Amino acid sequence: MLSQLFNLTLIQHTIRTATPLVLAALGGLLTEHAGILNIGMEGMILLGSFFGIVGSYFFSSSLMGVLLAVVAGIIIGIIYGFFVVELGSDEFIIGIAINIFASGLTVFLLRSIFGVKGAFSSPDIVPLPKLSFPGLDNIPILNVIFNNHSIFVYISWILVALIYIYLYKTPKGIWLRASGEYPEALETVGVSSKKMKYTSSIACGVLCSFAGAHLSLGYLTLFTENMSADRGFIAVAAIIFGGANPIKTFAAAMMFGFFDALGIRMQVMGVPSQFTQMIPYVVTIIALVIVTKNHMNKIKKGKEKEEGAY
Amino acid sequence: MKRSLFKDNLKYLTSVFLSIVAALIIGALIMVANGRSPGVGYMALLNGAFGSKYNLANTFAKTVPLILTGLATAISFESGIFNIGGEGQLYLGAFAAAYIGFTFPSLPKGVGIILAILFAAAIGGLYALIPAILKIKYKIDEVITTIMLNSVAVLLTDYLVNYPFAGTGQGKMGATEMIADKYQFTRLVRLSTLNTSIFFMLGISIVMYYIMKKTSWGYDFKMTGQNERFAKYGGVKTKKQMIIAMVISGALCGIAGAFEVLGIHYRFLQNISPGYAFDGMLVAMIVKNSPLGILIMSIFFGGLKTGSISMENATSIPSELVLVIQSIIILFLAGETGFKKKIKEMMLKRKKSEKAVKDSAKSAF
Repeated sequence: MLSQLFNLTLIQHTIRTATPLVLAALGGLLTEHAGILNIGMEGMILLGSFFGIVGSYFFSSSLMGVLLAVVAGIIIGIIYGFFVVELGSDEFIIGIAINIFASGLTVFLLRSIFGVKGAFSSPDIVPLPKLSFPGLDNIPILNVIFNNHSIFVYISWILVALIYIYLYKTPKGIWLRASGEYPEALETVGVSSKKMKYTSSIACGVLCSFAGAHLSLGYLTLFTENMSADRGFIAVAAIIFGGANPIKTFAAAMMFGFFDALGIRMQVMGVPSQFTQMIPYVVTIIALVIVTKNHMNKIKKGKEKEEGAY
Repeated sequence: MKRSLFKDNLKYLTSVFLSIVAALIIGALIMVANGRSPGVGYMALLNGAFGSKYNLANTFAKTVPLILTGLATAISFESGIFNIGGEGQLYLGAFAAAYIGFTFPSLPKGVGIILAILFAAAIGGLYALIPAILKIKYKIDEVITTIMLNSVAVLLTDYLVNYPFAGTGQGKMGATEMIADKYQFTRLVRLSTLNTSIFFMLGISIVMYYIMKKTSWGYDFKMTGQNERFAKYGGVKTKKQMIIAMVISGALCGIAGAFEVLGIHYRFLQNISPGYAFDGMLVAMIVKNSPLGILIMSIFFGGLKTGSISMENATSIPSELVLVIQSIIILFLAGETGFKKKIKEMMLKRKKSEKAVKDSAKSAF
């Protein structure tokens, strides 16, 4: 029974379901470092999914799908940045507005472009290519982990490393972090914190569009209304859980992906799908409780130490 | 003081009006881009929303869930705790009301109805208590937890109506048994969905208006939302206030769900709400949580909803266009203060540069 649940397929599913979370969370942690908690990622992912399908369907090319998704991501990133950075509007309200806008726009365009309600799939949608490394297929575990994934899986892994290096090893990364923590200090050295915040929101839009394109062209080959299914919010939870550190956030996203995959496996075993689908949401809440409890304990201990010193 | 308040309101009303006009213009452009006449489209929309007694009745029927969830949003947002979980609370409340309706069919009419409404309010309120406690005790962002809990509630009721409480003789969609006949609210206009729940809703709205605007209690809510520290100095127990606001908010959403069951479907259906709580939240956000504003804006939104179907029939523009229009309104309004500041800055700059030109002209002499 347990071997039916915990097997190599579970690892494969975990990687697949975690990838959109990883990509979105990487984007969100960039804005988080710039001092913006982006609630609008949900809508950004959704737009990426939709325009990925549009590009792939009309140009019969998955690359065009990704390109169109990225364009949408850049535009929505600019809009988000314009409202939050330029106009100084409440980032939370703009985030919600972006989500509602994305949901309304995609439902509307789904009907006006494809003439369907609910979902669109077609053999003319070209999915993203799957990569495999020859030589690895002889070793089952490496084969499952590294082979036969859609391209964004590999991109997400590379991005974790790149963003880590960017944030902690390059001057621009330091500027980005300073724009969130010490914007005045950054201004005194002649770097515009506004510009760094803008850049981070556009980068977030692009990364969320990757997540969306992965969902509609890699993970599945179709678009359904609101297919982002709260992944943008789970990504926010992953950022909080990982303390906005790329590697820890990656681990958190993988954990959420694992529980998502576990749910899918349990469904195969006959557990009502409603319960298995609940798992990622419930786990997210529990994870948030654990992380903040630990954090509060640390603060408490720190205070006790301070008091003890005197 | 009063006069400047009026002036502020007037300024904001102008902003709301301009945002709506801008959104409608964008809607018109989308129609033109699709090769349709916006004039025909909007006329059909207006007609479909308010053109006949039947249409008008349907529009007002739509205001019931909008106003209740709008007020729910208002009281939570005003208190500085953001309840985005209205949809989940609505689902659970709707199920709770249906449960009373089909489990206790032989209670006296009034008792059964009141019990169903109260049970729905209690369940909705309790469900909202979870994120409230997590926020107060562990400082966990309630936005994320309430959104997660939405999905949990929808899935839970989905399970309930497909397994333990599956009604007999249902179609493809999961549904419970029908509630007893006598608990079903009467329809006010033939064939329309308008029913007596609108009177209950009005009563609740008046109570909410009174609480939010006329009592010191309502003032406390506002203080809590505006400045937690200041409210604490003023002796308001902010934590308690936030929890109460959240529970009231959840209860209102639960009641909105109960009215969908008692007044329209007469049983709980899987996917009973097409996002009423989110629409209600939009309404409240647009009018900055003013109870009176929620009432008026809900009629506008209800009209958009019912009218959009007529628009679709007349122009074959998908009715979903109104979703785009709604979200553009909120986007413009969210940027409202920022836009104003920007325009002021630009005017100031212009004045300055004009002055600089004048000054330099003077010094030239």
